[in-house]
Amino acid sequence: MADYKELWTSLDIDLEKHDQLCAVLPEFYGEIYMQQENRPEAMNYYNFVVSEIHGYRVQELADMRKDGRKVVGTFCVYVPDEIIVAANAASVGLCAGSEFWHPDGEKVVPRNTCPLVKAAAGALVGNTCPYFKSCDMLVGETTCDAKKKLWETFAEYTPIHVMNLSSMKREQDYINWQGEIKLFKERMEELTGVEVTAEKLSESTKLLNDKRRALQRLYETRKVANPPISGKDALLVTQIAFYDDPARFTQMTNQLCDELEKRIENGEGVFDKKAPRILITGTPMAIPNWKLHHVIETSGGAVVAEETCTGVKYFQNLVDESAATLEDHYNILADRYLKTNCACFTPNTSRIDDIIRLYKDYAADGVVYYTLPFCTTYAAEFKAVKDALAKENIPVINIESDYGLEDAGQIKTRLEAFFEMISNK
Amino acid sequence: MEKESKSFVLFPSHMHGLSLEKKLKENKIKYAISPTPRELSSCCGISIMISSADVEAVEKILYENPGIKTDGIHTIRQQAKKRFFDF
Repeated sequence: MADYKELWTSLDIDLEKHDQLCAVLPEFYGEIYMQQENRPEAMNYYNFVVSEIHGYRVQELADMRKDGRKVVGTFCVYVPDEIIVAANAASVGLCAGSEFWHPDGEKVVPRNTCPLVKAAAGALVGNTCPYFKSCDMLVGETTCDAKKKLWETFAEYTPIHVMNLSSMKREQDYINWQGEIKLFKERMEELTGVEVTAEKLSESTKLLNDKRRALQRLYETRKVANPPISGKDALLVTQIAFYDDPARFTQMTNQLCDELEKRIENGEGVFDKKAPRILITGTPMAIPNWKLHHVIETSGGAVVAEETCTGVKYFQNLVDESAATLEDHYNILADRYLKTNCACFTPNTSRIDDIIRLYKDYAADGVVYYTLPFCTTYAAEFKAVKDALAKENIPVINIESDYGLEDAGQIKTRLEAFFEMISNK
Repeated sequence: MEKESKSFVLFPSHMHGLSLEKKLKENKIKYAISPTPRELSSCCGISIMISSADVEAVEKILYENPGIKTDGIHTIRQQAKKRFFDF
């Protein structure tokens, strides 16, 4: 077997503790993913990425760094990867989807912090995530209070740049975000020694738009009557998009789409034809948080789309490729990124429009509103979403759950009742 | 309760795994790339899961392609009882 211990030691990983994580993943992934019937063959690439999750890509990043390139870790779809790639650096979305990291996280953040932030804290300070340890700099943003304070803790451990995102979308907020993008560009130039030109930004925009187009193509296949791919497989593909090499990811995802489109031509789907079609909306799901999709899809439901940061928010808006100058790029990037309707904004009524549009586009039968505990902004928006969906006659159920599996049975019972109700509509 | 047994081909590095994958595709043998079960190795990395009925055919491919190194083909009986989700 491949031995990555030397690599991990070079990254100062706590090998003993890290091994506990390695011990769980194969069986956990096996139970959720490997027992699916009739999976697309092209999912083997994503099986490969997960199997080698702390090996292959981490080695690639180490090799890049040996060649003098930099690695930057991010936590939010608001951080413009275009700038990072244009500075010849790699961007890795840092995952924090397991309660494994919570005990270490609780040493530095309050216990009643959302599971995502707490896990990110634990992954860094406990020295158990090689991706965190591969980063030359982290990039934070001000999208929630828990994260804002986490960056202050992180600054004690590692270089970090924080982007100041406003809470509103007025004209001055657009101007502010353009300024933040410019500042980030300057910080990246300082880190890498690479001048970020308009030309390089055009190239990185094209590369990242190609990745977005591949994901859009993937999601398009989920709109058909019996989707050719499970919701949890689609979630996995999107999660991997955050840290894989963008060009390779695009190529492999387009190959998957070729297979899925053939399946559609042959009328081949993965669900029971009567399965209620579910749109998930709410908080992001970082690897290995596959719980909700797994419970839905083992309770007779079919997840057809996600209105989340690990779903359409990541790729539904392309960046306009017509920019000629740096100023054009800042304006265009600010416009594109501020289209993302995150619950950190007030008001955020456009998110409701997104949910209703997706519900119709994906011919969904019901909405599962998912929040992680202590995510005040997403939890608070439930009422407005529920009221708006009621007017449209769209059924919705609210599920608040953390990474623990103790409540999986209870969630399953609630979902089964919900599916029965919407199937009888 | 026991489910059917599954066989896993283990590799000294992922490169060999990907080489075998190519051959399995050419020979139309069903397979899935999988994380290596912990009971077979404590190192993280890929293995290739095949049906136990195909072990002989895969051994033949490996014999004909000595460049592809493995750490053996191991068969395990899969327990029907699940560890994480009780359904």
